[in-house]
Amino acid sequence: MNPFDRRSFIKALAAAPAASVLSVPAQAQAKPKARVVVIGGGFGGSTAAKYVKMLDPAIEVTMIEPNKIYTSCPLSNEVISGHRSIESLQTGYDKIAARGVNVMHDLVEAVDPVKKTVKTKGGKTLSYDALVMSPGIDFKYDSVEGYDEKVAEVIPHAYKAGPQTVLLKKQLEAMPDGGVFIISVPPRPIRCPPGPYERAAQVAWYCKTHGKPKAKVLILDANDSHSKQALFRQAWRELYGYGKGQMIEWVPAAEDGKVVRVDAKTRTAYTSFGEHKADVLNLIPLHHAGHIAIRTGLANPRGWCEVVPMTMESAVHKDIYPVGDACIAGELPVYDMPKSAHMANTQAKVAAGAIVAKVNGLPPPTPWYVNTCYSLAGENYGFSVVHIYRVENNKFVYITAAGGVSPADDAAKGTKVPRIQYALEAQYMQGWWRNIMADAFA
Amino acid sequence: MHRGVIHALAAVGLAVAGIAHASGTIEALARTCNNCHGVNGVSSGDAMPSIGGLPESYLKTVMMEWKEGKRYSATMARLIKGYTEEEISGLAAYFSKLPWTPVAQKTDPKLVERGKQATQACVSCHGPTGKAMMPTAPNMNGQIAKYLELEMRKYQDDSVPMPAMMRMMAKQVKPEDIEAIAHFYASQK
Repeated sequence: MNPFDRRSFIKALAAAPAASVLSVPAQAQAKPKARVVVIGGGFGGSTAAKYVKMLDPAIEVTMIEPNKIYTSCPLSNEVISGHRSIESLQTGYDKIAARGVNVMHDLVEAVDPVKKTVKTKGGKTLSYDALVMSPGIDFKYDSVEGYDEKVAEVIPHAYKAGPQTVLLKKQLEAMPDGGVFIISVPPRPIRCPPGPYERAAQVAWYCKTHGKPKAKVLILDANDSHSKQALFRQAWRELYGYGKGQMIEWVPAAEDGKVVRVDAKTRTAYTSFGEHKADVLNLIPLHHAGHIAIRTGLANPRGWCEVVPMTMESAVHKDIYPVGDACIAGELPVYDMPKSAHMANTQAKVAAGAIVAKVNGLPPPTPWYVNTCYSLAGENYGFSVVHIYRVENNKFVYITAAGGVSPADDAAKGTKVPRIQYALEAQYMQGWWRNIMADAFA
Repeated sequence: MHRGVIHALAAVGLAVAGIAHASGTIEALARTCNNCHGVNGVSSGDAMPSIGGLPESYLKTVMMEWKEGKRYSATMARLIKGYTEEEISGLAAYFSKLPWTPVAQKTDPKLVERGKQATQACVSCHGPTGKAMMPTAPNMNGQIAKYLELEMRKYQDDSVPMPAMMRMMAKQVKPEDIEAIAHFYASQK
């Protein structure tokens, strides 16, 4: 029996000089100090599982993920342009398991936030002290008439990396010279905000270097502006030709760019007033937080999970921490945290730090939110956007002094960016990816 | 009280104190560097440098020069403007205390040999293997090759601001020797 008041005991110890010892001997591990369950093994979930275990090995961590192989969405546009194989983007969970995380390949069917239990399709019930909810996104297929999961096998979204990416690549390969490749972008917020525009560049890159110089890449957009707009415009113009009659064309919502209906048989995209026949039609449907987050009641009416900025704890249910693409945070619409792997990774670290602190009776550490997101527009042509958020008065504040996008040429000011900028960022992008893969999955 | 219980409590105490340490402001901030520079500042490769175990003064100088626009960086210069001088000092101190870990990489023996010859002029500041000899110079032994190569290209490109002394030295290097120099330092333990 423990004769001490646990809380004051831990506080007293916490005040003692810091030791670097983080491991706890076997006798203290017999019963876990606490149980953490992580739903989803993407960048958010896997990072959270690893960091909870790393910060406090006495906590039992179980990560539930249906797939045995994870395919990275970042860099997957390079599969479409033929610069990478899909296999090069894949990883297993053996290294996370070797860190002491129980990796369970199963699907969570229900969460009871009151009893603090999780039920899986495989019939298991797990109880948790803290739950990390990182299911990513699911699609609202019926947001475009004529589209559904079945049609997606003909008209791919390729917005979850894997077979869909490969399918889109095959369709591009089969496209004749002079063919039309349409990318339909849904209303924001979307995962990977620069993704569709990078894809346009990569498709053009492929066409230019694979005997399809007369191909056309048409972006039909449900938005009137987009991520890294000046940079993409500059790169498109410089590398492939941009505008009416050029290889890449972008139609914003204000010019009837929003696709409302598709015909799978003829590969035609219909906007309110027009129709566009495609040789390859890439339709990215509207999306929202993963179904399990919505079923758990964590999402707002628009389908995204709101969080407490200090800890990433859900604004709805205690002891549940939504991280990654499933959540929405920051000042909308301009300064909301982008749904990126890097953002998910730093959110997961905040959640892990807060969970471990709470379990040990300590106050949550200062939360640090950072995002770096690179895009590759062509050979030696990369650029990025950087975001830093701090928490002030319990609100996310985007730090305008920092971050922002890579510099672009400015015709009005007569400034031209040294091209070493884009050559370097094309390389850093690869280094960024290698390291974030290791940080999340190794 | 049983001796076992005392031992268990002592062990738990150490662990909790460690967790308190891990919950510190700078430790939490440093965790956000991991996803590009690796856990403990040891990079997994490509173009990203290892930073764990670099000299404190070097780390702080570089970060402050980025912040003040005196040194070019394609990405970090934008990122670092979001942190205060105090936070930057904290990060420099934190990463400098980690052990420098040379990263094993595939290098070309021919390039390594050529790089060794081409780095004779570097020895007085960077030592024979790139191991830091002064607080203002970084370790380069076992640093990521691609990173070293790209840094040299920055020094040789007058269109971006870089510190004058190293720029002067770097400009004496033949462009065709850059890759060899990178392979040489990357191969050193």
